Amino acid sequence: MSTYTCQQVREVAPELALGVLGGAERAEAVAHLTNCSRCQAYVAELTEAADILPLMVAEREPPPGFEDRVLAGLHTERRRSRRRWFLTVASVAAAAAIVSITLVRVIDARTETPSAAPVPTTATAPAPAAAGMTQARMVDVTDGAPAGWVYVSGGRTVALAIAYGVAPGRYDIEVHPAGSEPVTIGAVDVQEYRGSWMGSSPVAIGAGDTVSLVSATGTAVCHGTLTTTQ
Amino acid sequence: MWSVTDDALVAGLATGDPDAASAFVRRFQRRVFGLARTIVIDDRAAEDVAQEAFVRAWRHAGSYDPRRGSVVTWLLTITRNLAIDSVRVRRPLPVEPDSIVGLDQVSDERGLQELAELGDDVARLKLALARLPEDQRRAVVLAGLMGYTAREISEIENIPLGTAKTRIRTALIRLRAAMVAEERAE
Repeated sequence: MSTYTCQQVREVAPELALGVLGGAERAEAVAHLTNCSRCQAYVAELTEAADILPLMVAEREPPPGFEDRVLAGLHTERRRSRRRWFLTVASVAAAAAIVSITLVRVIDARTETPSAAPVPTTATAPAPAAAGMTQARMVDVTDGAPAGWVYVSGGRTVALAIAYGVAPGRYDIEVHPAGSEPVTIGAVDVQEYRGSWMGSSPVAIGAGDTVSLVSATGTAVCHGTLTTTQ
Repeated sequence: MWSVTDDALVAGLATGDPDAASAFVRRFQRRVFGLARTIVIDDRAAEDVAQEAFVRAWRHAGSYDPRRGSVVTWLLTITRNLAIDSVRVRRPLPVEPDSIVGLDQVSDERGLQELAELGDDVARLKLALARLPEDQRRAVVLAGLMGYTAREISEIENIPLGTAKTRIRTALIRLRAAMVAEERAE
């Protein structure tokens, strides 16, 4: 709870908007703002002016090779991030396997037919994440414009992100393994052109298979063909 | 890819699209490096800051909200904060604020008139800055661009802390008022 009044906040609001208010003053002002929409609006107005200041600085050509170095750095970050995502998926898969093994033990114990070794329920546990990762760029089915990205780990765990080009609405996520009928694995809500979904596919999918978003009228709006992640 | 909006590029960045990342860097690198170089006053350090700014933008692209400001102001705010953090210990000597914001070349009335005719947000702000008293202009540029606190400005300018705070406050309020007045006049 802030001890600052609206008047005190307005005194320091310009420094807050410029990002140079420090310590206790900043803490008091921010605490006040959480409960005062009028002061929030005032600070937002000043921030709008403050945010334009950096645009007034002249552009300058960076040193040769800068763009390549930045992109190389982003590539490294992307790989790290994917590894983190991969480890998360792997740990979820491992946790699911532990749960299913535990369930088997519990069921075995209740039926008084204890098994000497745990029996994993391979039908429901996700496939091992180490089985590989595939990805696809989702593109608009009519003009090929980028729409988002989909990753598949271990042939079953699917993470999908829609970032642009798809109208707001709810879409079925269809996977289409080569030579088989399409299977709906879930649905994603797209709002303000963004949406994401993560879940498990009941059928194994991999490189060469297609993932599509299908509208309520049954029309595919975007799709992507999976390729192996390098 | 080259004709897409800034917002769409950020969305592409959020999905990890390499083409979007490449276009994003190409589009903003001169602005980002220019700002970083102005604040840290060293090419090598500026490059480190600019690189880190792009990595941060990539990392947080998913949480970018276009309702809270344009892509370029979002990216430059990231750059500014990183640059200020990097020079927190070894503070470079203040550069003349008017030259930082390019006002040293538009000091006459004709230059101001040309600015007024540009009509965009930046030109409007530049015009409003040019019309501020010099001490207020220095204070708001030192704070808003170089990250100097009111206390540091009071030491640099050899003025009481309260005066430094008043200059910053008055300057930013006037800038905001000038921007609103210009918008209404259009």
